[in-house]
Amino acid sequence: MSADALTRVNNRRGIRAPHLLLIPAIAILVLGMGYPVIWQIVTSFQEYGLKQQFGQAPSFVGLDNYITLATDPQLWVVVGKSLAFCLITAFVTLGLGTLLALLMSAVTTTARLVLQVALLLAWSMPVVSAMTVWIWLFDRRRGAINYLLDMVPGVDMNRFDWLSTPFTFLLVASIIVVWMSVPFVSFSVYAGLTQVSDEVMEAAQLDGATGWQRFWGIILPMIRPVISIVLLLQLIWDLRVFTQIKLLQDAGSKSGDYDLLGTYIYKLGTSAQDFGMASAVSILVLGITIALSWFYIRSLLKEDVA
Amino acid sequence: MKRKIGLVAAATAALVVLAGCSTPAPAEQSADGQNITLWLMGGDTPDTLRDFLKTEYADATGGTLTIEQQDWSDALSKLTTALPDSENTPDVTEIGNTWSPTFTSVGAFSDITDMYVELGGNSLLPSFVEVGAVDGANFALPYYFGSRYIFMRKDVWGAAGLEIPTTLPQFNEGVVKLKTDTQSGFYIGGEDWRNGVSWIFANGGELAKKEGDSWMSSLSDAKTIEGLTQLQTVYQDASLAPVTEADSTPWVNINNNAATGVPEAATIIAPGWAHWSIGDLAPDPKDDTKTVATWNDATFGNFVLPGVDGGAAPVFAGGSNIAVSAASKNQAGSRELMKIIFSEEYQNMLGANGLGPANLDYASSLGDDQFATALSESAANSKLTPAAPGWAAVEGSGLLEEFFGKVNGGGDIPALAKEYDAKIDDLING
Repeated sequence: MSADALTRVNNRRGIRAPHLLLIPAIAILVLGMGYPVIWQIVTSFQEYGLKQQFGQAPSFVGLDNYITLATDPQLWVVVGKSLAFCLITAFVTLGLGTLLALLMSAVTTTARLVLQVALLLAWSMPVVSAMTVWIWLFDRRRGAINYLLDMVPGVDMNRFDWLSTPFTFLLVASIIVVWMSVPFVSFSVYAGLTQVSDEVMEAAQLDGATGWQRFWGIILPMIRPVISIVLLLQLIWDLRVFTQIKLLQDAGSKSGDYDLLGTYIYKLGTSAQDFGMASAVSILVLGITIALSWFYIRSLLKEDVA
Repeated sequence: MKRKIGLVAAATAALVVLAGCSTPAPAEQSADGQNITLWLMGGDTPDTLRDFLKTEYADATGGTLTIEQQDWSDALSKLTTALPDSENTPDVTEIGNTWSPTFTSVGAFSDITDMYVELGGNSLLPSFVEVGAVDGANFALPYYFGSRYIFMRKDVWGAAGLEIPTTLPQFNEGVVKLKTDTQSGFYIGGEDWRNGVSWIFANGGELAKKEGDSWMSSLSDAKTIEGLTQLQTVYQDASLAPVTEADSTPWVNINNNAATGVPEAATIIAPGWAHWSIGDLAPDPKDDTKTVATWNDATFGNFVLPGVDGGAAPVFAGGSNIAVSAASKNQAGSRELMKIIFSEEYQNMLGANGLGPANLDYASSLGDDQFATALSESAANSKLTPAAPGWAAVEGSGLLEEFFGKVNGGGDIPALAKEYDAKIDDLING
């Protein structure tokens, strides 16, 4: 066999193998996601309530559910709040995570290990246990947060009820979500930082670049792919945040003013038993997620091609 | 490979078909050896009663009874998703009395009309039987009833020179006088509609009315507005509870606070069984991280919330119904469990534990102490929420918490009532 022929065989195998390797991933996606998504799309065009849940045939209502939700001012308030919550939380998480990653690469090995263990502990804490502790910390009567803030001269936080206004409620939720997600971001960014070659950094230093210039002009562009994907994931996660909000609502108020999209859909579906509308809102959220991530996915694809 | 997939597909299809036509036939099925699951809501049913049910069920059928406790706060969601699914449904479930019309009208429960007389018939609490019946057929029956009455600090009321009020206006004025910067005259959460609704009922108002075949929310009725106005004043001028607090554990506020030695509330409203948690606190001899409360008649008192012109105000009729899931594969075993629950022995056990027995023939088991008297007196006058098909959705949506929270937060009552009438009307007819 000539060398030329060998390359051709290799090439052909090279083309087929990736396709075969894709099958398991696609199969899992179709099995796990396909059915629920299709059910959801179908249901969003139906009148589907408790009667249908117990076996009555649902009736198709066309775009009725979508029209109802488009004209519901309360929903758009929830969408606005969720977007603001998601953007602020994701960017704060990314900022803090990056700072911690820079800290990790600057300190001694021992200090770094301590930091990493601490972050890992926060990351590995089950959400419900962590939430229980956070709710205690912010407790109106006996919470440590109020106790400490109250000791600051001139600050009266005795019995301040964090969960009694939507703003402070979402502030607490945001703090908790940031706390839970920072470890993931800092580990990912730290991994990215280890790939920045020392030679380049040294050269920049010799050329007289300040720390800020080195971060902005060299480190950031080099770890940009990591930052992009991490930010994308954070945006998606923070948009569909549910457990934290639900548990805070159990401790505070169930009222609609404290809803984000996740709890709004949950209430609409399983509690108010309007599965048709709940599906329609879910499809809307899917749309928002795609819109949010479109830019990133496109730039990621471009980078892949390059 | 292809043949295998074909087989799997055929088997799946067969299962679907079989599941579709497996309508339970209680007459032919035997309860022997059926393992069944019972869902109980919250911790109201004490352990001794649970053990009794398990033992009796095993004796009667040889099968195992598994009791799973569900949280009230998530129960509605869990019932909605589990009951239609024969693989995951509880066989028998306790269900909030106010949710019974919703689930009964969609066919979630088995028809047990043929057992109605055997289980107690006309002796069963009528208002609870009614919410579990459709067109004369019985689906859900009462499990237990409770009702809410007032607990007070005699020392605090006495120090202010106040007597036990005999009319609602006296109560409203009294609790306002008792409020200080650190102590609620009357502790009630802003979103606590289940207790707050007593002021609406007492003034002759309703949450909803039936007109012809359909239900209409009636928050804007003059009498409802009057009740809400009184409640708003009481909340604002007598309670230090957060406006976002709903049904909670108010008894922690009437006991002495461990740190300050004084109570944080002079008065609370709570279900009757709360009296086990009210009293002088002492360390638990069995577990020194806990305390036990011993009722002290010198410090604590209880009375029924008085009506506008005296007598007892109609309070929210607390309690539960119980029903067999229509999707359950173990209909015979489930019916056997229903017989045990409605037996004389179990009904008396309910009463002895302070839960109003479903069968009123055994109401004397509640005893004749001050708590039993208050329970009977307030229950006799209690009212249920509207038996509308969509009522569970109204409760589940959190609209009532939202509405009461906004009213008690100082909102404009007629405007809020109009807004929430419209929102509730969307859901109330199912």
